[in-house]
Amino acid sequence: MSQPIVHAEGLSKSFRVADKQPGLAGTMRHLLRRSYREVEAVRDLRFAIQPGEIVGFLGPNGAGKTTTLKMLSGLIHPSAGRVEVAGCLPQRRQERFLQQITLVMGNRQQLIWDLPPLDSLRVNAAVYGIDPTEAKRRIHELAEMLELGEELQRPVRKLSLGQRMKAELLAALLHQPSVLFLDEPTLGLDVNAQARVRDFLADYNRRTGATVLLTSHYMGDITALCERVLLIHQGRLFHDGSLDALTSRLAPCREVRLELRQVHPREAFEGFGTIEVHQGHQVRLVIPREQLTQQVGLLLSRFEVVDLEVSDPPIEELIGGLFRQQG
Amino acid sequence: MAQRLRRYGRTLLSFWATSLEAELEYQLNLVIELLAVLGNLAGSLFVLVLLAGPSGQLGGWSWNSALVVLGIYTLLDGFTSCVLQPNLSKIVSHVQNGTLDFVLLKPIDSQFWLSTRSFSPWGLPGVIAGLALIGWALVHNGEALSAGGMALAVALLVAGGLILYSLWFLLAGLSIWFVKVWNATEVLRYTLVAGRYPISAYPPALRLVFTLVLPVAFLTTVPAEALLGRASAAWALGSLAAAAISLVGTRLFWQFALRHYTSASS
Amino acid sequence: MAHRNGLKPVERALRIAAALLSSQYAYMLEYRAEIALWALSGVLPLIMLAVWQGSAGAAAAGLNPQGLGRYFLAAFVVRQFSVVWLIHVFEEDALQGKLSPQLLQPLQPLWRYLAAHVAEQATRVPFVALMLAAVLVLKPGLLWLPSAGQLLLGIVAIQAAFVLRFLLQTLVAMLCFWSERAAALDRLLLIPYLFLSGLVAPLESFPPAVRRLAECTPFPAMVSFPAKLLAGESVDVAGGFLNLALWCAVLFPLSRLLWQAGVRRYSAMGA
Repeated sequence: MSQPIVHAEGLSKSFRVADKQPGLAGTMRHLLRRSYREVEAVRDLRFAIQPGEIVGFLGPNGAGKTTTLKMLSGLIHPSAGRVEVAGCLPQRRQERFLQQITLVMGNRQQLIWDLPPLDSLRVNAAVYGIDPTEAKRRIHELAEMLELGEELQRPVRKLSLGQRMKAELLAALLHQPSVLFLDEPTLGLDVNAQARVRDFLADYNRRTGATVLLTSHYMGDITALCERVLLIHQGRLFHDGSLDALTSRLAPCREVRLELRQVHPREAFEGFGTIEVHQGHQVRLVIPREQLTQQVGLLLSRFEVVDLEVSDPPIEELIGGLFRQQG
Repeated sequence: MAQRLRRYGRTLLSFWATSLEAELEYQLNLVIELLAVLGNLAGSLFVLVLLAGPSGQLGGWSWNSALVVLGIYTLLDGFTSCVLQPNLSKIVSHVQNGTLDFVLLKPIDSQFWLSTRSFSPWGLPGVIAGLALIGWALVHNGEALSAGGMALAVALLVAGGLILYSLWFLLAGLSIWFVKVWNATEVLRYTLVAGRYPISAYPPALRLVFTLVLPVAFLTTVPAEALLGRASAAWALGSLAAAAISLVGTRLFWQFALRHYTSASS
Repeated sequence: MAHRNGLKPVERALRIAAALLSSQYAYMLEYRAEIALWALSGVLPLIMLAVWQGSAGAAAAGLNPQGLGRYFLAAFVVRQFSVVWLIHVFEEDALQGKLSPQLLQPLQPLWRYLAAHVAEQATRVPFVALMLAAVLVLKPGLLWLPSAGQLLLGIVAIQAAFVLRFLLQTLVAMLCFWSERAAALDRLLLIPYLFLSGLVAPLESFPPAVRRLAECTPFPAMVSFPAKLLAGESVDVAGGFLNLALWCAVLFPLSRLLWQAGVRRYSAMGA
């Protein structure tokens, strides 16, 4: 295996936050005596990412995803541990490092509001020291991939959310970074625009071999793009591996739905697994993964089965269930 | 190094070109700013007439030399509107909206970016009016200025501008800690009106304040004295030293502020 | 309408006022650092006092140092408690569409802004007191104790001046519905306020013609009149209040008309 491009060891971050009760009385009390508490946003993260990987960051709000991305991009100093990105310590924010990374935040924008995106792109080209003709070539290439045309010449305030996000991506990629940190890049976009951003990211990754780390609330983004996910929960790394592995870890059982030719009494299905539904010809069972093939085989041999369906519960529900359990 | 300078030069060019483009969408502003500059100038002259009374003097300064001070004040106020106000008042909103992150991720000095990103042409009427007033007053004062004196005066004017910049930057940079003091810089602007009059027009205790705490003296009175050909070595040196110290001070302050920002932001 | 919730109109108004003021006060307390700075930024009359006291112009206009001191100190207090910043918040609210939810409530939105101003004044009190204490320490001779009557009249006059300024700025703020840069117009309005109100120079020092001109505008009523009342100078009390009332009577219907036209335009644009 080659050298990892992102490498975190024991990465931690804690904040001191002020406690304040709401209302006037709370304000007064806060004025007189401030109380603080330490909040551990991220605890002891450990992972390595290879060049060219697309990795998804999962976790509920406040799990520490954004904090982690900010540490990786050098915007905040870790309180403990060590992180290395593209061979640099991010928090030093050396030019060599900054030229190699980019950060896109779905809820914030860097484009100048009153001007067309092209003007912001001109500024970015100058800032990153890109030769004007080369900048023009890259803008053209990226605009084509993003399906952006004359939108680049309209003031940003007149663009739709989807167009704006695509223009933001263009601005963020003009300097050809090799590591992309994307924080909710599809936030607020409609299904079509989401799909286009997704396709673009996959395409960009294929063409340039750039490493991508993204967080998203939309599981669709993750399933479409990421072979590997990092699940963070309460600041800790809960899972590092494929989405499938996460599913089997979260859902040790699978759901088996049967449609039978004849009606059998409920007792007939006991011993196969947990009976969820028993209604006429329809039976729904939950069977532990390791017994699945054996039990399904038995079911097929014992009953006359018209239709059979084996499924995982949706991943959102699994993760949601996990957080409800522990949170 | 040369390459770096070229990149910064090109960046500055693109900064100001884009902000001019954005500003010129609001042409009504030109009329408003012209009226505001003329109105403020007329008002200041009126009050100066009242203060000088029949003697035509203020704090031992003749009418024409007091006009030089007023001219420098107008010039610096225009400079503030051109560069300081549009840039430094944005630091606060960068902190509030989290867009400071984008600035910090650019491979360019963040203080440079924050201090030069915008240029507002609407301060230019003030700059021009200030220069015109200085010129008019100098001609009527009737004393010819040597080339060396002129160079010193320009150097002291630049020093004044740098001190002003440092004060603004310092206050605006405080927003990293106190997000809600977004208008601290406006406060500075209101307090600096003291610079409309020569420092000797104030009681001795205030002169001290206006030299050491709010260095108004270095902003207008000291350059005015140089322009009038009566610069004192001590004041000139003091002004240059103050400019150097405050520049280094802002640099250190900003580094410190960033360390705080990057270790505390969420 | 007002009886819908079983409250008498007066009761309802009092309840709204109490809720608005207390919530705005809590909000302003959050911004206390900023308000302290704003209070500090009102030192202009004190700076002007320092210049005036050593000037030849004061003697020529027959102003004695003690009178000057009292006048400018009073003007300082008047300015502190008649500050209006409506246009800046209103412009932002109108542009960002924050006005829309307020328009849905059964309360004229300007009341909310007025309550915010009053709450801000209350937040200022300790800071202004501190600054006055500092003046007292530095220059004990400057301070005086106005009689109860003077103080009462002075406070009423300050509040009247505040209302007048609020109405005047409401007029300009309503232009936000038509122009994106209405706040820039306020800059223009600030110029006559600065030079004609008596904030930087007592009206006595003006040449007679300029003084007559200034007195035809609403600006002297905003600073000069309340400051003179507080300073204990001999003023035409009834005339001064009548002047304030007249200006308010002129501006109030105007601002109402503009408000209605503005809201029509705002809703027509679908904001």
